[in-house]
Amino acid sequence: MPALLELQQSMRAQLLGYATPRDAARAQRLAIYRDTRSGTLVNALRLSFPAVQRLVGAEFFEGGARAFIRTWPPRSACLDDYGADFAGFLRTFAPAAGVPYLGDVAQLEWAVNRALHAEDAAGLDLARLAALDQSTLSRLSFRAHPALSLLCLPFPADAIWRAVLEQDQAAMAAIELGCGPVHLLIERDAAGVQVHRLNAARWQFSARLCAGTPLYELVSADDLAMPQRGPDADTAAWLAEHLSLGRLIDFTLTAPPAGATR
Amino acid sequence: MPGASYNAIDASPIPVAAGIGLRFPHHDQVLGHKPPVAWFEVHAENYLGGGGVLRVLERVRCDYPLSLHGVGLSLGSAEGLDLAHLARIAELVRRIEPGLTSEHLSWSVVGGEYLADLLPLPMTEEALDVVCRNVEQTQEALQRRILVENPSTYLQFQHSSIPEWEFIAALAQRTGCGILCDVNNIHVSACNHGWDPHRYLDALSAEAVGEIHLGGHALRTLEDGSVVCIDNHGARVAAEVWTLYELALRRFGAKPTLIEWDTDIPAFELLLDEAATATALMRRAAGARHACAA
Repeated sequence: MPALLELQQSMRAQLLGYATPRDAARAQRLAIYRDTRSGTLVNALRLSFPAVQRLVGAEFFEGGARAFIRTWPPRSACLDDYGADFAGFLRTFAPAAGVPYLGDVAQLEWAVNRALHAEDAAGLDLARLAALDQSTLSRLSFRAHPALSLLCLPFPADAIWRAVLEQDQAAMAAIELGCGPVHLLIERDAAGVQVHRLNAARWQFSARLCAGTPLYELVSADDLAMPQRGPDADTAAWLAEHLSLGRLIDFTLTAPPAGATR
Repeated sequence: MPGASYNAIDASPIPVAAGIGLRFPHHDQVLGHKPPVAWFEVHAENYLGGGGVLRVLERVRCDYPLSLHGVGLSLGSAEGLDLAHLARIAELVRRIEPGLTSEHLSWSVVGGEYLADLLPLPMTEEALDVVCRNVEQTQEALQRRILVENPSTYLQFQHSSIPEWEFIAALAQRTGCGILCDVNNIHVSACNHGWDPHRYLDALSAEAVGEIHLGGHALRTLEDGSVVCIDNHGARVAAEVWTLYELALRRFGAKPTLIEWDTDIPAFELLLDEAATATALMRRAAGARHACAA
């Protein structure tokens, strides 16, 4: 009699097709569970990647999803969290090589999915910042809202995504695939999920800020030497916007930069 | 020895009436029209994040008693529970304060991998110990009693030594958990394994049963010609299941009863209609009981 753990490991191997049950009748009954499992997981991916499915068709999508499930089975019972690796998988999935932008669209859809489902978090209370000593401000390192993503994608995935979901053939035809990388900010606000295109400089600043880079690395050495002048106007405006829209939810004070005199 | 006791009822208990399993396609209708439904039940795993989806659940919770039904805790996992998942369920329970919280007598996780189905357990002393441990840990984490649902199964294990009805009765007795008696599942498993559904109902104590589930099933013919009854939650409740439900009502008295429909989700009105049938049967059973008492 197998111990329970052994039995569960062996049943997993049979469900995933790595082992064969001892008789045909059992195999057919096990197949009922196998079908439910793959149906549930393929459906979870369909829900998270609707534009990818429209781009390649339901049948092709299902084939790709099944191959993905074999390589990247879920580690959590919360299927809203399943599919983080789908974009990376599609970029190396040979049958999809004819749709070079598929991985970019999948990556955007994953960010949209995160914006939909990430846990709630309140924006940073600005009074906490106001209470800080001026001399420590350059050491601020921020934490971004969990629903926020910053993506730099080689193809104009945002335009493709919109056109595909709105089934807008004219918009689709107008897309120039070679227009260069797009810099996107994806977030959730009161109205729902928003996908914004930023210019490269603003995106670079925002991406580093949201990754927790201390302010002294984001503002010029001149500004640090003369804090009364403050950071340059653009940077100040961008930071103020992120703070006022609740995109930053917390901060820490990092150690002073190496060689800092103050 | 019975497990620690937790309050079964909170500020907004689930009424002894027919409720409906709420799925995404009906969110707008329920929020917009507030249909006359005694209570709703949702799958806990669909609401573990934040944002608009959780806002919907909070609004439904304001208007109706709500039950949280877990599908991913994997109470039968020999390796123990996924503590991160349990913590997320506990957080949702804290936030929503559901009238009832339930899970399944099954397993879905091994080696940290989620197998995305409710898989059958061998009915052994070892499995009973495992499930008791996991149920106790869940009740401790949620600080409340949970209900455990009898599964629908398509295969059995040769080394099972305890009938499923005795297994689940023992689980309730040892952990203090309640039983979510899925009458359709009893019918499905009884068909598939040649069990006597009446004997199953007789083994459960009326006191332990905190809720009843009703749903649809389908028949599938396998390659070898054998017919398997599949619990697909994709049809009206079958006539035999309504009959078994009436027996359950006679056996347990009226209990909160849920209509479940998960595949090919129909118009909401059809679910209301199924709930009305359950309500009528509950009333009839109550009348019969009163007549007996008089």
